[in-house]
Amino acid sequence: MTSLDAATLAKIAGVKLRARAVMEGVLSGLHKSPHQGQSVEFSEHKEYAPGDELRHLDWKAFGKFDRYYIKRYEHETNLKATLVVDASGSMGYRSGPLSKLEVATTLAGTLAYLLVRQQDAVGVSVVTRAGAADVPPRAAAGHLHTVLDALDSLQPVGGTDLFAAADHLAERVRRGQLVVVLSDLFDDRDEALARILALRARRNDLVLFHVLDPAELEFPFDDPTLFLSLEDERRIEVNAREIRESYLEEFRAFLDRTRTACTEADVDYMLVRTDEPLDAVLLRFLGRRQRRAA
Amino acid sequence: MTFAQPWLLLGTAAALIPLAVHLFDRRKPRPHPFAAIAFVLRSQRRTASRLKLKRLILYTLRTLILLAIPVALARPELRRPGTAVSRAAGPAATVVVVDRGLAMRFVDGQSLFEKARTEARSVIAGLGPEDPVTVLPCGPEVTPPTAPGLDRREARETLDRMVPAWSTADLGRCFEVAARALEESPTAGKRIVVVSAFTASSLRLETPLPTLRGPGDKRVRPEMVLRDVARGRKVLPNHFIADLKAEPAPQAGARSVQVSFTVRNVSDAPAGEIQATVELAGRVVGKTFLSLTAGGTAQKTLTVRSDAGGPVAGAVTLTPDGLVEDDRRDFVVQVPRELRALVVDGSPSPVRYRDEVFFLEAALSAPSSPIRPVVKDATAGLREPLDGIDVVVLANVPAPLPEEVARLKAFVERGGGLFISMGDKVEPEPWTQRMGELLPRPLRLVKAAGSEAGAGDGRQAKLGDVHWGDPLFAPFSGRGREGLMGARFQRYMLVEGGPRADGSEVLAAYDDGAPAFITARRGRGRVLLFSSTLDRDWGDFAIRTSYLPLMQRAAAWLAGALDERETLEGRVGQTVVLRPDPQAQVTMVKAPSGAAVPVRVEPDHGLQIGPLPEPGLYRTYDAAAQLVPGSQFAVTLDPADSDLTRLDEGQLQAYFGEEAVRGPGGTADRRVPMWTWLVVTAALAFFAEGLLLRKP
Repeated sequence: MTSLDAATLAKIAGVKLRARAVMEGVLSGLHKSPHQGQSVEFSEHKEYAPGDELRHLDWKAFGKFDRYYIKRYEHETNLKATLVVDASGSMGYRSGPLSKLEVATTLAGTLAYLLVRQQDAVGVSVVTRAGAADVPPRAAAGHLHTVLDALDSLQPVGGTDLFAAADHLAERVRRGQLVVVLSDLFDDRDEALARILALRARRNDLVLFHVLDPAELEFPFDDPTLFLSLEDERRIEVNAREIRESYLEEFRAFLDRTRTACTEADVDYMLVRTDEPLDAVLLRFLGRRQRRAA
Repeated sequence: MTFAQPWLLLGTAAALIPLAVHLFDRRKPRPHPFAAIAFVLRSQRRTASRLKLKRLILYTLRTLILLAIPVALARPELRRPGTAVSRAAGPAATVVVVDRGLAMRFVDGQSLFEKARTEARSVIAGLGPEDPVTVLPCGPEVTPPTAPGLDRREARETLDRMVPAWSTADLGRCFEVAARALEESPTAGKRIVVVSAFTASSLRLETPLPTLRGPGDKRVRPEMVLRDVARGRKVLPNHFIADLKAEPAPQAGARSVQVSFTVRNVSDAPAGEIQATVELAGRVVGKTFLSLTAGGTAQKTLTVRSDAGGPVAGAVTLTPDGLVEDDRRDFVVQVPRELRALVVDGSPSPVRYRDEVFFLEAALSAPSSPIRPVVKDATAGLREPLDGIDVVVLANVPAPLPEEVARLKAFVERGGGLFISMGDKVEPEPWTQRMGELLPRPLRLVKAAGSEAGAGDGRQAKLGDVHWGDPLFAPFSGRGREGLMGARFQRYMLVEGGPRADGSEVLAAYDDGAPAFITARRGRGRVLLFSSTLDRDWGDFAIRTSYLPLMQRAAAWLAGALDERETLEGRVGQTVVLRPDPQAQVTMVKAPSGAAVPVRVEPDHGLQIGPLPEPGLYRTYDAAAQLVPGSQFAVTLDPADSDLTRLDEGQLQAYFGEEAVRGPGGTADRRVPMWTWLVVTAALAFFAEGLLLRKP
């Protein structure tokens, strides 16, 4: 398997192509799908109960046993997934070839490809402070283009409002759905993350891709720097070398808090650096899901 | 504060560099849009106060470094009043003359000697790094110091080795020696620093200050710097024993000793209730109190009794004052020991005053006499056991029998004394035959020199040639000598004249040349022959005033007691000549501290001991390191050294000059070099700055 590094991926324009490229890398490295995909194979019998669809009655079984049985099939266990992408201004930051939003949309697109390929329904929910834009989950093949177009059109703008996003998802996302959140989680409100993680309590399978830039993780600045906010008018002039230690301390604490909260909420947490190969990220993610399913 | 290179202070302007950098080097920060700005803000808030403090400290440290270096290069020196050595222009070779004389033992809280040592150390520390220095310990004797050098350690070691002396230092001589040492130094500047208490006895003001060879062989006077360790005191109050005499006091009883001493108070205040304690053989035997006026003296005499006879060591101790060393004075006194005399009466008489030994017994048993006579007649006396007897007196005794002669001979050879006097019972021929070995001279015949009635040639004999230097006659002087010479003799025994090889000696002769008192050594003992009688039969000597002391002295001399009375007394720093008993082989003399004192044998077999290093009781030892009895002697301080009157400031100024006494500019400042501290400060600041920069 040959991974596509960030620089190569950046050269590919549009989410569709990037997602497909990543998906191919993923598929070439994937030994076994975690899902059964489209299947109409018989799964089990269930004694008929009033309200069951009559078209699923097993007449042969009625002939043999003189009882009504309902046939159940695998396709009834297919997944519905909502890809929640943070498109706030902070996601537009890049210190390398790809911004966090580009990485997030590429990851989301790749996941959409994979899900649709398995006949799973996939939708998109875009989070900004201005509000949320949704593409409802559907399993139809043509729906994939809708999802990818929605992702391709995203621009980083405004502040992060995970709080509102969580409320929006709680309204729209049905119980039991897979919710994949791709965000840098830069929301000043401490309870915002908790609101997102609360989806897990609604029996939603929640996956959190924490997308961060290497510069945010390592703070490689030395000179006096005027830092400008990407979401509002905040600015600060500091000697970066003097505050580096303190910054890293704060950031590590933030990561630790996030990880701990996810672990406690039984949420799948993936830290994604924008400079690492995305197929490797997804393979790691899929491997973990596989182990989890087993 | 002064600076050796003040122009280098211009470099302190560099201290403004950090401020200038802070003000003018404000680089424009690079704008950078950043997503995690919330974390930057939080970090900045958290570290703002710490960073502000750190920046302030860094700024201070950098300013300090840039300030300290040029100031250090300017070689600053701090002036401390009254402690620094005045500084000549440029380096100066320095001799630190430290008084270690007796006065420096004075204790004023701390001994002046220790103060002087501390002061000298301070002087050395205050010298410039280019000033060569040497230390000259100044005592009664002066050893030339090493040439001034830059090695401070040697100077300090000399100070450490220095000990106070027991006599006054000779400062004038020390200045001379210091000037010679300075001449050896190639350094142009010459300086003598004097650390002393400046007592009047230590400096002869009539002797001019030394000069030394200067540029062009011109005689120049070295810079004089005075360090007075008794600052603020006009006098060093001191009372001391100026004189002491201890002698037997026979009039007060046997083994009585009369101790007379004079105490002087050298102070501007009276000294009352000074206790004086007299010790004999380590036991306190008397105490008295004295009150002295300011500058006054007092004399005390105490009569005390010794437990033992012979040479006894004693001491008089006063209540201690600042100088305790002169508050005690040791002495050795010869306490007359009790002598037993066997008096053989050859012509006893029931009439007391006609008895042959009536006058002799009375003389020997006088209350003040240490002699206890036992009188026996000739028959019993010559057979009497002679154990425990010191002297046997044969007074007009017929010639003893051979066995009696043998006993007498053995007695004398053992060390006993034999006194033989003449009379009508003494027949020359048998006496000479039997007692020839003991007699100093053979007896010949009785000569009648005259009588009270004018018999004979009509002129009574009297003593003519007397060896007054002999211990037997030495005390007779003045009226005592007149009394002895006034005795008249009508008869006396003629003895064989001329020089003899047996060592007999005529100590006194009559005016006609006939021997009167003849002595001879026989073995370890002595024999004394008196050629007349001990009563009034042959003359009136028995009723003369000189009779009693001469008889007592003759008995003591024969018993060897007079030899013991020769006591020595020495002064610290001087030598004494000891003439011990020939039988005593003195090989070593130890000072009170136990230190061996140099001993040199003189041609006349006397022992020259000294120089005597310290006061107190000196003891002598033989080759086997055994104490030689009777040879101990006391060594005393020179009372003149105990006068601690100080030179006043006027005298010092007249002698040394006003600048030497008061220091340049009226204050004797000590300059403490500061540059090393500044360099250390800069280095520490540099180190701290590095630490701060390493730590974010």
